[in-house]
Amino acid sequence: MQKTFAYISSLILCTLTLTAVAQKNIKTPEKDNTPLFNGLTIQLDVASVASSFLSNGESYSYEAGAQVDLKHKYYPVFELGYAGANKTSNNDINFKTNGLFGRLGVDINLINPKKDQKPTTNLFLAGIRLGMSNFPYNVSNVIITDNYWGGSETFNYPAKISTKVWYEIVAGVRVEVTKNIYMGWTIRSKNMLSQDIAGEVAPWYVPGFGTNTGNNWGFNYTIGYKLQIPMKVKTRTNKEIKKKK
Amino acid sequence: MKKINFIFWSISFLLCTSCMVDEQCRQNRFVAMKIDFFHVVANKTKDTIKTTTLSLDSVSARGLKFDNQSSKFIYIDSVLSYKFPSTNVDLPLNKFSTISKYEVKFNTTIDTLTILHTNSDYYLSLECGCLKVHSIDTVLTTNHFIDSVKITTHTVNNTNAENIRLYK
Repeated sequence: MQKTFAYISSLILCTLTLTAVAQKNIKTPEKDNTPLFNGLTIQLDVASVASSFLSNGESYSYEAGAQVDLKHKYYPVFELGYAGANKTSNNDINFKTNGLFGRLGVDINLINPKKDQKPTTNLFLAGIRLGMSNFPYNVSNVIITDNYWGGSETFNYPAKISTKVWYEIVAGVRVEVTKNIYMGWTIRSKNMLSQDIAGEVAPWYVPGFGTNTGNNWGFNYTIGYKLQIPMKVKTRTNKEIKKKK
Repeated sequence: MKKINFIFWSISFLLCTSCMVDEQCRQNRFVAMKIDFFHVVANKTKDTIKTTTLSLDSVSARGLKFDNQSSKFIYIDSVLSYKFPSTNVDLPLNKFSTISKYEVKFNTTIDTLTILHTNSDYYLSLECGCLKVHSIDTVLTTNHFIDSVKITTHTVNNTNAENIRLYK
């Protein structure tokens, strides 16, 4: 019995000593003085404008975005655009659409500033977006011919409406070219979440996503202006406190 | 330097070609009702039935279309012939009528097949357009060569699935 008591008490003593030593070794984390809100960047996509001119009106897209800088690390973003297509296939089927699209997401700056160093304005970003578009479209001049029995009919599918949801994996860079003026590019892997029903007239083009092929690649080249709206915590002076009293 | 140039142009070419939209239709657009031939052998002593695939030396089919002017069924110009030996045939159904009638010649014996069906549109893509798919309601036959028929799949589409079993 005495032996058991000695064993248990020595075990408790040992545990307490180890805990005390471990607590001494724990470093208190340094306080992060980076403000939460560090500005809002309004940006315009130049790549989509350029590609719209190059596609001879077959498809067009214009988009802009607003991105918030949180702690120079997290960049929540909202992108809004207008896109459309007017495409005639090799077999003379015509597809027309136009509509608004929106994307919501967040980027993370992968460059970590060194200790006691001013945060860099050059960013290497990786992020994710969730995109959505509700758009009308029409498909016309669909010809069905019966080669054996004879006969031919032309079908039109006007005023169809679709809602598509997709996600994008984004990576890119952004640099401050002059004070508060930013330029950058992103490359995107777009993946459709909404499924088309087999046999139904599906859209050929989805605004904001591109051709409706399940997955797409996208490229954006943005020019942006950073609005510095610092959020400082107002501290009362002794005079102000006295006045109030 | 030459090596870097080669890699740069190779990657650029791959990126450009991978972004091009393929405007070719690569889907099967042929819709036809598939009929497989079977031979039924009855073993009276064992009281069993054995079904085997029937292979025919010569099979041809010709459509019969109802002519509103003469109020008669008239032959379609084109005759569908099938390779030797034939164990099945593909008969295209009328895309704009709900009755398709065929005169089928099995070796030297002729039977008439009448298929009552509904038609519906099936959109593939902008490149491939639209198909007419069918749903078989009833199959009527004469019984010179054919013993009986069984509808196995009612939907006739571009998947080349068996629709009817024809027993001799």
